[in-house]
Order: sequence, then structure tokens, then C-alpha cells
Amino acid sequence: MLRTNELTKIVDSQGQDLTILSDVSLTVNERDTVAIVGVSGSGKSTLLSLLAGLDIPSKGEVYLAGQPLHELDEDQRAAVRAQNVGFVFQSFHLLPGLSALENVMLPIELKEQGNAKQRAAELLEKVGLKERLHHYPNQLSGGEQQRVAIARAFASEPKILFADEPTGNLDTKNGNKVSDLLFELNQQLGTTLVLVTHDDRLAERCQRVVRLEAGRVVSDDTSADSQAAVMGQE
Amino acid sequence: MRTFRRDWKAGEVKVLLFALMVAVMAMVAIGSITDRVHRAMGEQSSEFLGADYTFESPRPIDPSWVDKGLSSGLEITESQSFATVLSQGDNFQLVSVRALAGKYPLKGTVEMADKPFSQGVVQQSQPDAGTIWVEPRILGVLGIEVGDTIDFGSIQLTVDGVIVAAPGQASEVFNVAPKVLINQADVEPANIIQPGSRIEYTLFIAGEPEQREPYIQWIKQQKNPSQEITGGKEGTPALKAALDRAETFLRLASLISVVLAGVAIAVAAGRYSHRHFDYSAIYRCLGMQIGQVHKLYLWQLLMIGVIGSVIGLALGLGLQALVINQFADYLPKPMVGLSVAPVLSGALSGLVVLLGFALPSFLQIAKVPPLRVLRKELLPRAMSSWVIYLLAIGVMALLMWWQSQSLQLVGILLVVAVVTYLLIRLIAWLIFKTGIWLGKRGSAPVRFGVGQLKQYPAFTISQISAFGLAFIIMLSTVLIRSELLSEWQSQLPEDAPNHFLINVQENEVEPLESLLTQNNVQTEGIYPMVRGRVTGLNDMTLEEALNEEQRRTGALRRELNLTWMADVPSANKVTQGQWWSEADIQDDVAEISIGEELANRLALELGDMIHFSIGGLELEGKISNLRSIQWDSFQPNFFIIFEPGALDDFPASYITSFHLPLENKNVLNQILKQMPTITIIELDAIMAQVQSILEQVTLAVEFIMLFVLLAGVAVLYAVLQVSREERVLSATLLKALGARKKFIRSSILAELILLGLFSGVLGVIGGEVLVSILYWKAMKIDVVLHPWFWLWVPLISIAFIGITGWLGLRHLLNQPAHQVLREY
Repeated sequence: MLRTNELTKIVDSQGQDLTILSDVSLTVNERDTVAIVGVSGSGKSTLLSLLAGLDIPSKGEVYLAGQPLHELDEDQRAAVRAQNVGFVFQSFHLLPGLSALENVMLPIELKEQGNAKQRAAELLEKVGLKERLHHYPNQLSGGEQQRVAIARAFASEPKILFADEPTGNLDTKNGNKVSDLLFELNQQLGTTLVLVTHDDRLAERCQRVVRLEAGRVVSDDTSADSQAAVMGQE
Repeated sequence: MRTFRRDWKAGEVKVLLFALMVAVMAMVAIGSITDRVHRAMGEQSSEFLGADYTFESPRPIDPSWVDKGLSSGLEITESQSFATVLSQGDNFQLVSVRALAGKYPLKGTVEMADKPFSQGVVQQSQPDAGTIWVEPRILGVLGIEVGDTIDFGSIQLTVDGVIVAAPGQASEVFNVAPKVLINQADVEPANIIQPGSRIEYTLFIAGEPEQREPYIQWIKQQKNPSQEITGGKEGTPALKAALDRAETFLRLASLISVVLAGVAIAVAAGRYSHRHFDYSAIYRCLGMQIGQVHKLYLWQLLMIGVIGSVIGLALGLGLQALVINQFADYLPKPMVGLSVAPVLSGALSGLVVLLGFALPSFLQIAKVPPLRVLRKELLPRAMSSWVIYLLAIGVMALLMWWQSQSLQLVGILLVVAVVTYLLIRLIAWLIFKTGIWLGKRGSAPVRFGVGQLKQYPAFTISQISAFGLAFIIMLSTVLIRSELLSEWQSQLPEDAPNHFLINVQENEVEPLESLLTQNNVQTEGIYPMVRGRVTGLNDMTLEEALNEEQRRTGALRRELNLTWMADVPSANKVTQGQWWSEADIQDDVAEISIGEELANRLALELGDMIHFSIGGLELEGKISNLRSIQWDSFQPNFFIIFEPGALDDFPASYITSFHLPLENKNVLNQILKQMPTITIIELDAIMAQVQSILEQVTLAVEFIMLFVLLAGVAVLYAVLQVSREERVLSATLLKALGARKKFIRSSILAELILLGLFSGVLGVIGGEVLVSILYWKAMKIDVVLHPWFWLWVPLISIAFIGITGWLGLRHLLNQPAHQVLREY
């Protein structure tokens, strides 16, 4: 589903090269759930943006759904995302000018699938917002906004879902509700899930935990001992 | 200071500073260019008068008045005017004499020649004692040439030259007596002034405004009602009307820059404060008190004000110098220097606008509840909108009054502002409705573009108001400008008649016509003219019918020029009653048309009868209509016009007019040679001068329009800059969700097109309202609508906002998508 080969990202910082990621090689299989953990500045977000084709690597290769993202131009990468990728962001990033329903319809329309309205409404019902279809983001609570964002992320039936600190801006109760929804829909729709998080309990629920330190992968554990790995990090 | 530096780096201050800079720059540049051109034009119109002011008195002027003027550093020339007869052998001519005691003219020039109707040479002083300068037609009548002597009372004067051009009022040229200039030293020896002679004493006054104006004010207080003081503008009615309108226009233009500045600043300040709510909440959390946060941001505001004003001031000064230099050839000469007042007021009004329009937003910042740190949706309690609007309107009114000194203009503009505000609310509502309508029907990018507009309704309203206002202003500028131009051009077309022949006898009509035809001169027709006196009204004598005041009316005390016409003359308009029809002409009653001013003065109404005595014969006419007469039209005007046929039995002389270019002036000599008693009135010099002033005024008006357009562009740009960050977020988010560039492009265009459409509609509605009010109230011309613009303005608005907006926003297409992962 997702494969990287010696992925490296170097940026220019006040005239000096700054290596944010170096030689990250990963393979994520279909239906895997993977948590990327690490302290602030360890390169988590950069890795996520390279995996999703939001940015291009300085060196190395990244294949998503068989497509070489590192070789594609922006529009081509956007097309790959429209067909395969869903997103959940820490600060929700709903489009404030669009209603809950319209926000969820957007990716379906970008993928040029039919019946957008009905499918969006169904998804919002699934996340428990049946009564809020025509509310605008500023009329929704944080938890509700993130549930709309999750509905939006699954709307285009993506093969892979990227989540960037999906519970980071929520209290425990709402956070739990949102992560339950995330894994529930993931199960139902058989989506591959890659999430970046600080939240141990969220990472715990993934089959695999990849830990970054200073831009390098320092551990890559499967479910059995993922808890230990996360605990060790703290 | 640290906050300021940080904000500068973050780009937030830049927008506010930019808006203020543009505002100050526009105000300083428009203010000083207007002021300079205006003063220079004033200088030029003084040339018509021969001075900045004239003071005329029927009695000798107290010498201490002259001394007072001279001791304040003014230039003053005394002169006397009277009528007398010049003779040479058996030939006599009634002339109007001006005897000069000093330099003449003080402003402008006298052009002299040694042959009639030839190119003149500029003279800078009065005639020497013993010499006389005469109008060309006198030579023909007296049968003399330059260098000959003529009898002037009991002395003889040598004709030293022919006056080609001299300062004088346009209304004076139809005086029957030709003008001569002599030295005052010759008046007494000539012995022509007897007790009871009517003499007019004149002071020509010139000097710098600082010395001049107090002196003029003093004279105005001292003078009695029979004495008259005239300024440069008032000397020439045609120019006065043009200059007054140009002034209204230029004043309006500087007001507009104030309004535009206010809008730009209000928009920028609103966004600035919104973006600072988070900082404020953090400061408060960290223990700062409201007062401290206030202080922090007020310092910030003051700093922005000072820096923006200084930069704007420098740019404005540079700009006006550039314009004045660049277009020196077309501007009045000599150009007057820069004066401090408009520069200072431009810079100061920048600060005042900043305070008036930005203060409410800035005061909001400190009032953010600290809890916002945790709950982002919390906003400060809104200040009562009345307070904000009253503050803004108050500041605007103050500035307008400051700039225009005209309460009427301020009133009009404030009414427009309120109407505009209401319109804006209406249009905002329309957008919302249309947005939903389109949302149901439009494609995804269109819906997204509409969503962008719906996102912050208040912000969208500010945007539309700014764009709409810019268009209102541009539209009114364009309309008023073309109105002014077409009126001036119709008043003085290129080939307007510039020579008039009067006193043409019946037997001379045919030879004159053939002579003119031979020389390819096209006349405006040869009209009969009968001289007659008003002797009674409605079967009563004048003494019975009128009170003493009415009997003093000039038109009753002399012979009037009467004529007959089938159609209303071009410079006239029937204001009451009907112009005669074929049937009226057939019946026995002689119908007449009378000028409304004269009718009002004599309290005459439709149907009243006027008795005339014409060469000893009696005639009665019935008033069938009143006319307004445009006295500054450079056309022969008649108080009283008869229906055709009514004057057939009376001895008439004829009058005609034609356009004669300078190189054909020789035709005039031929006319005088063949028909020496014809009086020739030359208007070409004065008309050329009026025309050149009008051209300069036109150019000034066009400059200002260019500035207003530029200021409009600046506002558009400021508004787009302000919304930049929201747009970056939306665009990157769309990319992350898999939207291609085409989708983003379409949604941006859809948004801009809608914005353009609504602003254009607002511009048309507001522009028509503003222009109608201005036509009606300020410029006193008929209100007309401009349906043609109803289509064009929205289209231009769409194209303009589309293109400017696209240039400002196309970078969004290239925003790296990974930015979406950053915190906003």
C-alpha cells in the first residue's frame, strides 16, 4: 500500500542545510494500522507529509498505491490523493464557509463519484451528527467538528487514511469518542491507517508503532510489544 | 516595539501600514496638486481682470485707502473711466475711455499692434502722456491710421497703437462704444470732465494672498453699496461657472480620498485585531491587565500611524512633484509653489482617519476573554455598533469639512454614506441568498467559491463595501467629468463665432453677404435688430406701473435691442409659457418672449402687455413666454424677442456673427473699407484665452480622476492582502484533500466574479444616486440616468476585480500542500 525507500528531507535553515528526516525506509501493508510517535521536532509531521504526497523528498522514494509520488508533479499527486487518501487533522480544518454536509461532500466530488449528498448524509449519521447536517463549523463544538472531519476523511472511501494528532485538541471524553469512531470506521471500511500522535492510548490501539528520533526510525514494533515501546519512550 | 517588530515580520502590520500609507499619499498628492493647480488657475483668471481684484466706485476713492493698500505691500493702479467723443475732421466716435495712473495691467498683458487686425506685441505699461491706444474699429470710423493725431477734448493725442487684446470682462465686449486707453495725466488738460459727468473710479489691486486678502476684507467692510469689488473669477461669467464646477469637482475628489482611506483602514484594522485576539488572550493569561494590553496596542497603533504617515507623506510629495513636472506643459503657467496647508492636512488626516477607523477594532483586542486560550471560539464582547459608526461618521464629517469647507457637500456625502451602508446590507443579504441558490445548483468549485464568501459575512460585507465604494466614486468621477467637458465644449466649440458685426444697414446686407461668401466665411445668419424703448406696461405708464426701485432697472433706461425669431435661440431655454406656433404668428397680437430675470424684476407675468416706442412709432406686445438666458454664451442675447413679422414695419439694422481664424483677419479690413459704419466686435482673443483655461481645467480634472482610480486600485489591493492568510489555508487544505489546481483556480475565479458582480451592482446604484444628488444640488444641472453604465460597470468590475484579484491570489495555486499540517 505504502512503501518508502531511504526517504530523506533536507531544508534550508538560515543558509544551512538542516536534515529533518534521513533514510527512512518503511513498508505499510493494506489494512495495517500504524502509529508514528516521537518527541516534538523528531520529524513526524514531515514524514506524514511526504507519505501523503503533500511534500516531496530531497532524496529517496515513496510509493503510494503503487504510484511513485516522488516522481509526480503537484496536480498528479493531488489526483493520487483524491483517489486514495483521506485526512484527519489536529485542528480539524473544516472549511468554515461550507456546512457540515458540504464539507463531507467535498472529497466525494473531488473524486468525481456520484451521489455525494446522500453518502455524505449517511456518513454524518454514522458519526452521530444526523441533526447537524446544515450547521456551519463555527456552530459545532470541537468534538463535533472532529467527527465531521472523520466523516469527511472516510467520505471518498480512501484506501489509506492519514491522521495528524486527531485527538490532540480534544478533552479525554471527546478524544475517546473520536478515536473509537476512527478505528470503528477503519475496521468497517478496511482502510489502511497511518496516524501521528503523542497519545499513548491511541498509539496502543495500532498494530504497529514506528518511533522517530532526530529524523531516524529508532524502533518499529508490531502490536505485541508496542505498549512496552511506547512506555519506554516516556 | 518588540510586538511591532514581530508583527512586521509576520506581515500583519504591513497591510495596515500599507492602507494608511496609500491613504496619506493620496490625500497629500491630491490635496497639493489640487491646491497648486487651483491657485495657478486663479492667477490666470486674474489676467482677465487685469488684476487680482478691482474696486470700482462712482465717486473719487479716498486716497488713504490706496495708501493703506500700498503700505501693506500691494500693487495698486488707479484709473478713471468715462464716455467721451473722439473726433478727427468731420468724423466723430463715442468711446469709452480708461485713463491710467500707473502700470497696467497688473495681471495679464495688453497686446498692441500698429495695424488693425494684425498680430499684437505685448506691452507692460500704460500709454505715455500725449498718446492714445485705440480699438481697431475706431480707425475705420475716424478714417485714421496709427501715428495720426485725434482731438481729445481740448488737446490732441497721437494714436500710438491698436489694442489687439486687453484685460476686460467678456460681458463688456458688446458695449457699443469702443474702448481707448490713455494716460491719466492727459485727463485734466483735456478739460473734458465737467461737473455732473459720469465717471467710474477704479483701483486695480494685485499682491500675495497673505497681504491681499486682509486688505480686500477691509475694503468689503468699508465700502458703500454703490461701490463694487470684483475678484478674478467673478470678472468672467463663463469662467466663473467653469471654475466653480471644477472646484466642486476637485474638492469632491479630495473628499473621496478620505472616504477610500477610511474604508481601507477599517478593513485592515478589523483583520488585524481579529488576528491579535489570540495574543491578547495569552497576554491576559500570563497576568497582563486589560489596561496594559490596551496600552500595548495603542502604542502599536500610534507607531503604525506615525510611520505610515511619514512614508505616505514622502511618497505623496514625490508623486505630486512628479506629476507637476511631467505635465508642466499642460498646466497653467507659471506654476505656483507648494503650500504647507494641504500637505499638513493630508498627513494629519491620515492620523485622524487611522484613529477614527482603527481605534474601535484596536480597543476590542484587549477585551478578549482570557479563556480564549482554551476555547478559540470566544470573542470579545462586541462594542455597541452605534458607537463605532458614530465615531467613524463623526471623523469622516470632520475631515470632509476640513477638506472642503462646505457643509452642503459634507451633508450630501454623509447622506450617501448612510444610503450606501443600507445598500450594502441589502446586497450582503442578496449574496447569502444567491450563495445558497448557487450552492444547490453550481458545480463543486463554484460552491466552494461561494462558501469562501459566506465564510465571514462581515468581512465579505467590508470587501464589497470597499470595492463598491471605489466603483461608486470612479463612476461618479467619470460621469461628472464628461458632464463638465461636454458642457464646456458646447459652450465654446472650436468654431464658435468669434466675430460679431453690428449696425449693418439694410442696403449693406447684400454686399456684406457676397463679400463674406467670396472669402469663404460662413455666417450664423444675418439677423435684423430694431432699437426701441419700453414706455409702458398694461396700459399704464412706467411711473404708474412700477415702484421707484423697479424703474431704475437698466433695461428701462436705455434703448433695447429688439429682434424677432422663429425658434428659441440656442443659449436660451423657455421656463414659462410656450414658444410661438405658426397659429400664434398668424393672429393680430404681437407676441413677445422676455428674459425671466427682467420679468421677475418688473413683476411681469404671462399675458401682460408691454408698450414700446420704436423710432417714434408705438407698438404693443403680449408676453407669451419667459426665457432663461445664458449670458456667458458669447452669443448676442436679447431681453425681448418678438414673433416673426411683428417688427416688419420698423427700421432695422442687422447683426451677424461668424468664426474667423487669425490668418483671415484681413477680411475685416475689406469690410470696413467697403462699409465703414459697420461695427466689428472681436471676441477671438478673449475666447482663445477662455478656451485655454477650460482646457487646463479639463486636464486637471482628468489628473484627479486618475488619482481616484489609483486610490481605488490601492483599496482593492489592500482588501485582498488582508484576506491572504485565510485563503492560503483554504487552498492548501483543498490540495491535501486532492483538489487539482484547476479546481482551486475555478473556485477563486467564481469567488472573484461574484465579488465583482455585487460590487459593480453596488457601484452602479450608489454612483447614480451620488451623481444625481450632485447634479441636482451642487452643480445645478438636470438629473439624467445612465442605463449604458448599468451593464458596463458590473462587467468592468468583474473584469477588474477578477484580474487584480487573480494577480494577487494566483500564488495560492503554488502553495505547498504540506503547510496544512502547520498550526494556524
